[in-house]
Amino acid sequence: MRGIDFILKRTAFALITVFVAVTFNFVLFRALPGDAITNLSKVPGASPALRAELTKEFGLDKSKWEQYLVYLRQLATGNLGVSFSNQEPVTSVLFHAIGNTIPMVLMGTLFSIIFGTITGVLAAWKRRTVRGYGSVWLALGFYSLPTHFLGLMLLLLTAGYLPRGGRVDEFLFNPGLVAHWVDVGKHMLLPSLTLGLVLYGQYTLVVRSAMLETLGEDFVLTARAKGLPDRTIVLRHAFRNAMLPVITLIALSMGYIVAGSILIEKVFSWPGVGRLVSQSVDRRDWPVLQGTFLILTISVVFFNYVADLLYYEFDPRITT
Amino acid sequence: MSEQVLAVEDLHVWFDLPKKGRLHAVQGVSLELLSGERFGLVGESGCGKTTAILALMGLLPSSADVSGSIILDGEDILAGGERSMRPHRWKDISMVFQGAMNAFNPVQTVGAQLVEPMEFHGVATGDAAKKAAGELLELVGIAPERAERYPHEFSGGMRQRAAIAMALACNPKVLLADEPTTALDVMVQAQILDLLTRLSDDLGLALVFVTHDIPVIAELCSRAAVMYAGEIVETGAMETLYHEPRHPYSRMLFGAIPDPEGEKDVVSIPGAPPRLDREITGCPFAPRCDVAFERCHGERPALLELAPRHSAACHLNDGAAP
Amino acid sequence: MSATLENEPGVETGSSAQRLRTAVWGILKDRPSAIAGAVMLAGFVLVAVFAPVLAPHGIHEIVGPPFSTPGAYPPLGLDDGGGDILSLLMWGARISLTVGFAASMVAILVGGTIGVAAGFFGGATDTILMRITDYFLAIPDVPLMIVVAAIWGPSLLHIVLVIGLLLWTSTARIVRAQVKSVRERVYVKRARALGAGNARIIFRHVLPQVAPLLVANTVLTIAVAIFDETALAFLGLSDPSKISWGKMIKNATESAAISAGAWWTIVPPGICVALVILACTLMGQALEDALNPRLRVAHLAARGFRLLPRTLRDDA
Repeated sequence: MRGIDFILKRTAFALITVFVAVTFNFVLFRALPGDAITNLSKVPGASPALRAELTKEFGLDKSKWEQYLVYLRQLATGNLGVSFSNQEPVTSVLFHAIGNTIPMVLMGTLFSIIFGTITGVLAAWKRRTVRGYGSVWLALGFYSLPTHFLGLMLLLLTAGYLPRGGRVDEFLFNPGLVAHWVDVGKHMLLPSLTLGLVLYGQYTLVVRSAMLETLGEDFVLTARAKGLPDRTIVLRHAFRNAMLPVITLIALSMGYIVAGSILIEKVFSWPGVGRLVSQSVDRRDWPVLQGTFLILTISVVFFNYVADLLYYEFDPRITT
Repeated sequence: MSEQVLAVEDLHVWFDLPKKGRLHAVQGVSLELLSGERFGLVGESGCGKTTAILALMGLLPSSADVSGSIILDGEDILAGGERSMRPHRWKDISMVFQGAMNAFNPVQTVGAQLVEPMEFHGVATGDAAKKAAGELLELVGIAPERAERYPHEFSGGMRQRAAIAMALACNPKVLLADEPTTALDVMVQAQILDLLTRLSDDLGLALVFVTHDIPVIAELCSRAAVMYAGEIVETGAMETLYHEPRHPYSRMLFGAIPDPEGEKDVVSIPGAPPRLDREITGCPFAPRCDVAFERCHGERPALLELAPRHSAACHLNDGAAP
Repeated sequence: MSATLENEPGVETGSSAQRLRTAVWGILKDRPSAIAGAVMLAGFVLVAVFAPVLAPHGIHEIVGPPFSTPGAYPPLGLDDGGGDILSLLMWGARISLTVGFAASMVAILVGGTIGVAAGFFGGATDTILMRITDYFLAIPDVPLMIVVAAIWGPSLLHIVLVIGLLLWTSTARIVRAQVKSVRERVYVKRARALGAGNARIIFRHVLPQVAPLLVANTVLTIAVAIFDETALAFLGLSDPSKISWGKMIKNATESAAISAGAWWTIVPPGICVALVILACTLMGQALEDALNPRLRVAHLAARGFRLLPRTLRDDA
């Protein structure tokens, strides 16, 4: 019974946050200084006919309240509006961008999780040795590098060997399936690697810290007293307990995958959500921005919620 | 006729201190243990008793220096350091820790944690191991079905008993118990003491029971050693320690000091034990001793054998007194 | 898991600020990494302050041909406009560090206030404030920063406020947790029983216990703020009239420095940013470690205990 309680409470919180997000989203993009109507004039090549149509579509001539209700109604039907710049539905623009961002970010995030966990366990187990210190310092070093700077560095270092940017080679003529994916892979390597290197330090530090705390627990002493080998103690006993906070961290990170990285996508000209955002800001394409923000926020809220549930599931001690 | 199962000779433990220097936590401890014997180790907090028994299993951190011999079944298991100690852990000597509530891994079932050392040391595997685990739980008064449960579902007293069951998983010869009843209420305490008595009587298990609680030790143990400032100041049979203590500290601990509460707890001796990070001149107890004389402050008393299996470290026992 | 200074307030000697300073210094001085961090940060601050005196050349001074390589002189080479990289680094330090410090001040003030309010008053105030915090945590921050900065116009003040208004969430959470735990302490209840008002309790009893954690959080926030400044600059949203490290990187990228292989236009400013972030991280981590005491004992280590051969040991 208390399980249901917890789930209901968390679900309620998540839904409330989503609702707040929707509302704030609306406020942000409709009630900003220099709001949509005036900015319509900044949409390049906006003919009076187009402007009139957009005005009607978005109900820009009505009061803010009515606009809000229109917005809510549109959301309910999955209508995120139409892009100012190319008149495509925002949903399809976003879909396309997200489809490009996810593989790249997923690769990077996986790298950071795996590499970060390994270095974190190593740093805790081999504490006060060269390997232990080295792991931590390396992680801190990469963690401190600004994302775009690291990307630029990698470009400088691999100049000529790997593509300068973009997702595919424009001049590759009629590639077969394998050739196409190899091409994408080559383009995806540096951006993913950049993301992975910048993010892994966080995992190293968290895993190390969790492991150190766990290694000081009585049951680890008991495991040692049982005569079990060090590796068994570290991996089967300590690690399983230390991973609880890490699992939460992983679930939280998932929420940010959709957002991609604006900086990385700019450095590598990767056609994903990040680049979509910076382009839309330049073009003052509010519908796209509004839709993007909404999706990104909901993604984070959703994965936070999942993280909460996971933590509850994996730690038999939680009673809240 | 019981034979000697464990002998400790001149055990020393030093700990590195963070700033500089060393803490001499155990200063030349020697003792012997017969099979089936219940041996008490008593002293106030910080006297080194916990460190001493941790050393018996080699469970010391990398900041520790150890010297001496630990002879188990005729073999000095300390001679090879960690390497020679490890194979004997749990199989020949096992331990119940202070606050055994936390000795269990929270994300594994209690049963799994009993089975683990069995399988590792080759005592039993698979279903046979699970069955043995169930029997062990029954032995300590816990229903075998509880093996499927997680540690947090057990009460404090049950966890303590389960920890004892776990310690017996590989049929060790020696069980070290560090204050196993301290955090428990009197009823549960009595159950556990009862259990330990039965185990040593029925299974021939040798027990080293560490505590600062005198009445408990009096009830459970046949012999005891009194530790002060890292060394053993007196060791002998329980009745001897109670009625004819030959060290002032033991006398104060065991003696009939009128106490309306009925507690004979060490806390009531005024003063504090000496620091162990510097060398001690003379008898470590001299500053707090009520019968100290001149020789006590300059010369450290050696542990003298006063009668078979009764020794004390006090100048009063040495014919050539002041 | 809460952190406290050694004494209960009320039995102190010396002002709170003094005690805080001694406490912080006491924690830092035992950790060489934190000291290294502090020294580095101090170094950069000094360079920034004395830039007018130290910099060999002015911001807009043309020293030689564009993209001159580093060598004996100029030591770090020249950028695409012929400006001296070394001098630009010094001038840029002023803006980068100022934005970093100022933005975190904003974040700390906002976060601290919200945290104290939520933790101290609890109930509805707490719930509302925490939902708002959750929302701000969920919003993708770089996109939001871009949007607001783009609309508002990229002046230095706006940049500082934009960055600050997105960084307060972690502070708010930490402060709230600490305030909640302090609120339950005996001396607070005693003070209340004696008739002390909310303001007095907050300022004399709660804040001193929150301060150390706040300092740790501030330092870590500075690191993020400096990073955010470079990110915004890279995306074209910095004050056009000022030069900062982030701006230098942006300029270099836009002037095809990569194709020209002119790494000296990109690497120095990036390294400077990284060093400042590293310095802040080291100090902040050290403080946080010290304030959240964890068991320093590890039952498992790479090496076991040391065995002394009998013949070699000292006599007891």
